[in-house]
Amino acid sequence: MARAREAVSPSVVIAAAGLVVVVAVPFLFILLQAVFPHLGRGSLAAPFSALAGALGDPKLIGMTGNTLLLGLLVVVLSALIAVPLAVARALFRVPGAVIWDVLFLIPFMIPPYIAVLGWIMTLQPRGYLEQLAGFDLAAFLFSVPGIVFVMTLNTFPVVYFAVSRTVETVGSRYADVARVFGASPLRAFWRVTLPLSTPGLAASLLLVFAMSIEEYGTPAALGRRAGFDVLVTAIDLRVSDWPIDLPGAAILSLVLVILSFGAFLLQRWILTRRSYEATTGKPQDAAKRDLGVWKFPVLALFAAVAVAATGLPLLAILATALSRTISGGLTLANLDLSNFSAILGDTTGALKALGTSLSLGVAAALVTGLLGALSAYAVVKSKVRGRGVLDVLTILPNALPGIVVAVGLILAWNQPWLPVTPYNTALILLLAYCCILLPQPVRYATAAFHQIGDNLEAAARVFGASPLVAFRRILLPLIAPSLLAAMLLVFAVATRELVASVVVAPVGVSTISTYIWRQFEQGSVGLGMAMAFITILITTALPLIVLSLMGRRGNLL
Amino acid sequence: MTGDRAGNAISARQIYMAYGKTEVLRGIDVSMPQGQTLALLGPSGCGKTTLLRLVAGLLSPTSGEIAIDGQMVACPSLFVPPEKRGLGMVFQDYALWPHLSVAGNVAFPLEMAGINGAERQARVKAALDRVGLSAMADRSPSALSGGQQQRVAIARAIVAEPRIVLFDEPLSNLDRELRETMVAELGALIRGLGLTAIYVTHDQSEALTLADQVAVMEAGQIAQLAAPEDLVEHPASPKVAEFLRLGAVLSLTRDTGGWSYGGHALGPMGGPEASAAEVLVTPRALRIADFGTTALSGEVMAVQYRDTAYAVTVRLNQAAPAQTVQISSDTRMRLGERIGLEIVSDRLRWFPARTQAPVH
Repeated sequence: MARAREAVSPSVVIAAAGLVVVVAVPFLFILLQAVFPHLGRGSLAAPFSALAGALGDPKLIGMTGNTLLLGLLVVVLSALIAVPLAVARALFRVPGAVIWDVLFLIPFMIPPYIAVLGWIMTLQPRGYLEQLAGFDLAAFLFSVPGIVFVMTLNTFPVVYFAVSRTVETVGSRYADVARVFGASPLRAFWRVTLPLSTPGLAASLLLVFAMSIEEYGTPAALGRRAGFDVLVTAIDLRVSDWPIDLPGAAILSLVLVILSFGAFLLQRWILTRRSYEATTGKPQDAAKRDLGVWKFPVLALFAAVAVAATGLPLLAILATALSRTISGGLTLANLDLSNFSAILGDTTGALKALGTSLSLGVAAALVTGLLGALSAYAVVKSKVRGRGVLDVLTILPNALPGIVVAVGLILAWNQPWLPVTPYNTALILLLAYCCILLPQPVRYATAAFHQIGDNLEAAARVFGASPLVAFRRILLPLIAPSLLAAMLLVFAVATRELVASVVVAPVGVSTISTYIWRQFEQGSVGLGMAMAFITILITTALPLIVLSLMGRRGNLL
Repeated sequence: MTGDRAGNAISARQIYMAYGKTEVLRGIDVSMPQGQTLALLGPSGCGKTTLLRLVAGLLSPTSGEIAIDGQMVACPSLFVPPEKRGLGMVFQDYALWPHLSVAGNVAFPLEMAGINGAERQARVKAALDRVGLSAMADRSPSALSGGQQQRVAIARAIVAEPRIVLFDEPLSNLDRELRETMVAELGALIRGLGLTAIYVTHDQSEALTLADQVAVMEAGQIAQLAAPEDLVEHPASPKVAEFLRLGAVLSLTRDTGGWSYGGHALGPMGGPEASAAEVLVTPRALRIADFGTTALSGEVMAVQYRDTAYAVTVRLNQAAPAQTVQISSDTRMRLGERIGLEIVSDRLRWFPARTQAPVH
């Protein structure tokens, strides 16, 4: 017997449609292309023929091995650097703790491809290091250890912040209890703090692993000279260089997705299985101990890491941006603002790229904000059947590296039989950014919805609000603060996104990242770095301004 | 409760509700006339809140029909969403919207009904006046105490002048003293506005005070539907009697000499013509006597001062598993004091033995 039930809420329908376009379509076409090599000609002939060949290809096995090796090395080095710093920060009174935190946050704001360009300017032959110290480290930089080093400096803050927060919370809540029951500080650390912090550490390391195997800029800039190919650069090669090999790109993409999804699932499993952070309150910093004789060695360690991760790349970027010519070197006579005036004068299309990226960033923030809120609503609050599928579609982008999204979009929207297509318009970039960054608003909105009692929506319905009105008047305002924070993050990241932009940007459309990348390839490094500097300023300052305006208006909740 | 829907404010017929394989409601039939208050009373998990949410339209029944004011709102071919049912509702957790002021919360139902401007303001003020909170109109709900938040929730439920208001354990989050005042206020409000109300609660005194009819629910079914005085005088089953805390239910067996409890003869006492039965012993059915002079005796376990007398808990000496009864005493008794208990047989209420009568 078919029963009349409440019709599916329009918000759920919009969420489902949006998720299909933004997430399901590109992913589906990767799968189809991997199975049907002649998909591009509209033919489903010879299924699985390319797959078998490609999976046995020793080159693919080698690249997969390189990718895993790179991920693993970055994880190990990140842990070696971040864990001691984090434990010191959490349990001891480190002078200037807040300043170190801010300095370790900055690497997040410098996109890795910009940082790597800074490192190249510093360590290459006749680079800043040679000019100042008389020797260069090019052999180190353009090698696997060099790649690992640069990538670690970008990723270790993830581990640092996760571990220092967990250890601080666990230390003040549980280790103190162990002290009361007779454990020495060291014993309490080994028996209580460390075991309880392990899930947080493991989860952050898996996140670092996922970030490393997806990273494009660093291996692309450094690895080619070292002959070190990873999956991401190999996929890029297959879609952007002649001969174009779409089936190959799709198969490599699938391998990358499997690695990435594995890391993601493992991370989620660890966090849901044993999460102590989520249940505990605010850490109290009353019980921190003095460092004693270790004060200066520890401070030296903090300073060294801050210089390497934040100071050096920033200074190199600034020095390059301020140099009239690169060959002029680090001399006062060579310093001026000609690169900045060239950018602002728009003689090189810089302002247009800036405008394109900023508008795409705003658009991506709006679209992902709306879609993220609706999807999180459908998954958390609605009782609609099939919301499990929506849940999977919101989780899937976590495991879709930027390069894979780009390949999927090419495969989906470059089909010859399509009457209209966003391909070759800036819209394709918007689709790419939305798919890559959707997880942020979904995560924030999901957490916010979990905190809203079901009766708040039920009450609105009883008092006469339709599902859409209840969503707009009650739920949306309640999750607005979280959602806005996520949207600012989307804006900041989308504005300077590199890999998808390089791959899918239509001819004649350049973004901030493709502009910088191209200036570097063409030798106008100064212009690129001036642009990078302006970008870092804008994408850092704008969100801060919005947040402070929001703060002044009082709490939104 | 058969078919005739006309004249009933709410009627539910053969309501079944299942989540997957768990049946939460199993064949509910209930209807109530205009202007009456129906209490749904039962322990947690008995399905009373589910039934209320079905009436509100926040859930849709697996099968069965619900009509409000003679209009079908849920049946196999039709589902009227909550916003089209024109109800008021007070939630257990208040469900005040934290981003709206007190006045904003109360104004919401009017706004949804398209009532604007001066009329809206006047009605919000009138509703807040009625609950004594007009001074708090511009505050945030989170700045209010629990009792005040509850009053805001009540003002919001009545501001649009609905015919029917649903109450979902509205007082369970308040402390006892406040609860007793609020019960009286709510009763006055419901009568004063001539509301039809469904009131869900697990507190039998609230139900007995407020309701014209009480439906005692147990495991997804209505165990008894009756007016409060009938319920107290004639509970339909030992379970109902136990849930209403009317007294102790004892299992008795009968032989030629009359009834006996735990192997101790109690005498004839009337009762049904059966070899076993259960009997409800209310405090009024027991009289205190000297120890050793009666068939039933016990030891004082607890003494509590209540209203004008002492409520005394006595553990029976004759019971194999521990069994206590309540009596009322004008004097304070010592803990551990041994007393005799005399049974007033015409105040007993008999039930048939449960399927397997315990044999002593």
